[in-house]
Amino acid sequence: MREHAFLWAAAAFYAGGSALTVRRLRAGGASESLHRWNVATLVLGFLATTGFLYLRGQNLGRCPLTNAMETTVFLMWSAVLFYLLVGPAYRVSFLGAFTAPLSLLLCLVALLGLSDARAPIPDKHSPWVEFHAAIGVLACGALGLAGVVGRMYLMQERQLKTRRLLPSFLEFPSLEQLDVIGLRLLLLGFAMLTVGMIGGEISYRVVGHWTAPKIAWAVATWVGYGAMVVWRLRKMLNGRKAAQAAVYGFAAMLVTYWVAGVLR
Amino acid sequence: MKLVMVGLNHRSAPVEVRERMAFPRVQMGEATCMLLGASHLKEAAIVSTCNRVEIYGLAENAGNAAAGVRKFLHEHHRLTESVDAHLYEHHGVDCVNHLLEVTCGLDSMVLGETEILGQVKDAYEMAQQAGATGAALNRLFQKSFSAAKHIRSSTAIARGSTSVGNVAVDLAEKIFRDLGARTVMLIGTGEISETTAKALKSRGAGHVLVCSRSRERGEAVASEFGGRVISYDDWPVEFPTVDIVISATAAPHPIITVERLTPLMHARQGRALFLIDIAVPRDAERACGELENVYLYDIDDLQQIAQQNIAARASEIATCRKLIAEHRGRYMAWFESRWGTEQTDASLPRSAHNHAS
Repeated sequence: MREHAFLWAAAAFYAGGSALTVRRLRAGGASESLHRWNVATLVLGFLATTGFLYLRGQNLGRCPLTNAMETTVFLMWSAVLFYLLVGPAYRVSFLGAFTAPLSLLLCLVALLGLSDARAPIPDKHSPWVEFHAAIGVLACGALGLAGVVGRMYLMQERQLKTRRLLPSFLEFPSLEQLDVIGLRLLLLGFAMLTVGMIGGEISYRVVGHWTAPKIAWAVATWVGYGAMVVWRLRKMLNGRKAAQAAVYGFAAMLVTYWVAGVLR
Repeated sequence: MKLVMVGLNHRSAPVEVRERMAFPRVQMGEATCMLLGASHLKEAAIVSTCNRVEIYGLAENAGNAAAGVRKFLHEHHRLTESVDAHLYEHHGVDCVNHLLEVTCGLDSMVLGETEILGQVKDAYEMAQQAGATGAALNRLFQKSFSAAKHIRSSTAIARGSTSVGNVAVDLAEKIFRDLGARTVMLIGTGEISETTAKALKSRGAGHVLVCSRSRERGEAVASEFGGRVISYDDWPVEFPTVDIVISATAAPHPIITVERLTPLMHARQGRALFLIDIAVPRDAERACGELENVYLYDIDDLQQIAQQNIAARASEIATCRKLIAEHRGRYMAWFESRWGTEQTDASLPRSAHNHAS
């Protein structure tokens, strides 16, 4: 229960961050202090999630990626981690405002929608299993943040197209900047996903206990994102369509992951 | 001791009066020294911009000092007729409040403009170099600068542009990552299109192409921006390399149509196009704005955004005044701890001639 208290605390911080996001979208100008609070809620949420993962790892004696709930929490943690790395690097303060609602959603799904039942301990164990799972979920974190960037792009593009500007319009980065950040996150996420797939193949050879739905999900995700990378690099996918692909691609990956978890 | 201010601005005096009262930059130091000699001021600073001339000072007797400043202004500018009707005065806490409002852009012609902060800083530095400022004005001006920064960062008073040209620049900066690498094409020339191009160029836009029916006119405009003239009929040829189009022709029908633009956009490989249609009647079909990666704004769209920004700034005035009151309170607490509580001079109104606002 102590572990879950950390997760509820994270949910509270992200809920606060999401409320600030709504305020920032409406407030426009007076948002420097709101931005600081926004980042503070994300940092606090990140620390609380780290607390959960640490305690769970201590209890399990291994990386806490043994069920869908833990994996979702790890995904939330890695998405915020990428924001904390990418946001200051690109000076995109508003990205944090959009990361908070995604983190809240993942946190609530993990707490309320997914089973936290302990998975049976496999007979054979290999560090490749944990490596594969951890790198795979970190990749999903990067792709999740690419989805957040895509959402920002769609919102900014809509404002520019309809000529109806929100008070916070000037806070948004330029469309081109969002496009570049989204592409770099996609490339990073896909590269990590590929490394995770290789790790998965090695671990399958060692322990051999991956289930068919899980393998099908992993291959479909890799192929889907691989196609996205190719289309983007060949400039066959750009602008609004690229942003939509990042948002819907991540949503599809999440939902199918949860479904695959139920089927296994 | 009491602070005093005498001055005029765009609301109290027409430009004919303001231009006669202005202090040229090169004469500011000398004029400040003359002012100290000719009035009863212990400290003084002259703020002179195109929209205002204001003299701030510290004096034993505010009434006598203000009269001395008025006399100085008339004599220094060799005025043959009185400008007293255009001058206003503020004493004590009202003087502090006025400078804070000026520096924060609340008293400017364009509400919230930020250029005034630099102008007041210049004026203060010149007065300081002339040895005309002391503890009271040093602290007052420093306080006004920190208040301006605080208010600008915590309210929307300076946010959003209020002119058509600058609104276009704001939009361009939200489409493109780096204006420096962008090419602007002017199709047809005119006052607003040139102002818009100037605003884009001032914010770093790279190349300018001018496409005009009159070669002579085109060359004159192109030379202003260091750009290149192209034949009027060649604009579709240059189109794939252009990022921002400012169209302002006198054509009676749209010259940029969906039919014409669609193949041109294919050649751009997904690069965005910002289409600014300043012409009346419009040069671009409205439906062009629905094409992917095309962002179309006409003159009404830009003016509407400018009006919204002005309204948004105006809605921040009350918040700004609250913050100003905090800064003013801190300054007055310091001032009174040093020179004692202000005694209102019964022979003078608190603000002898407030400007109409």
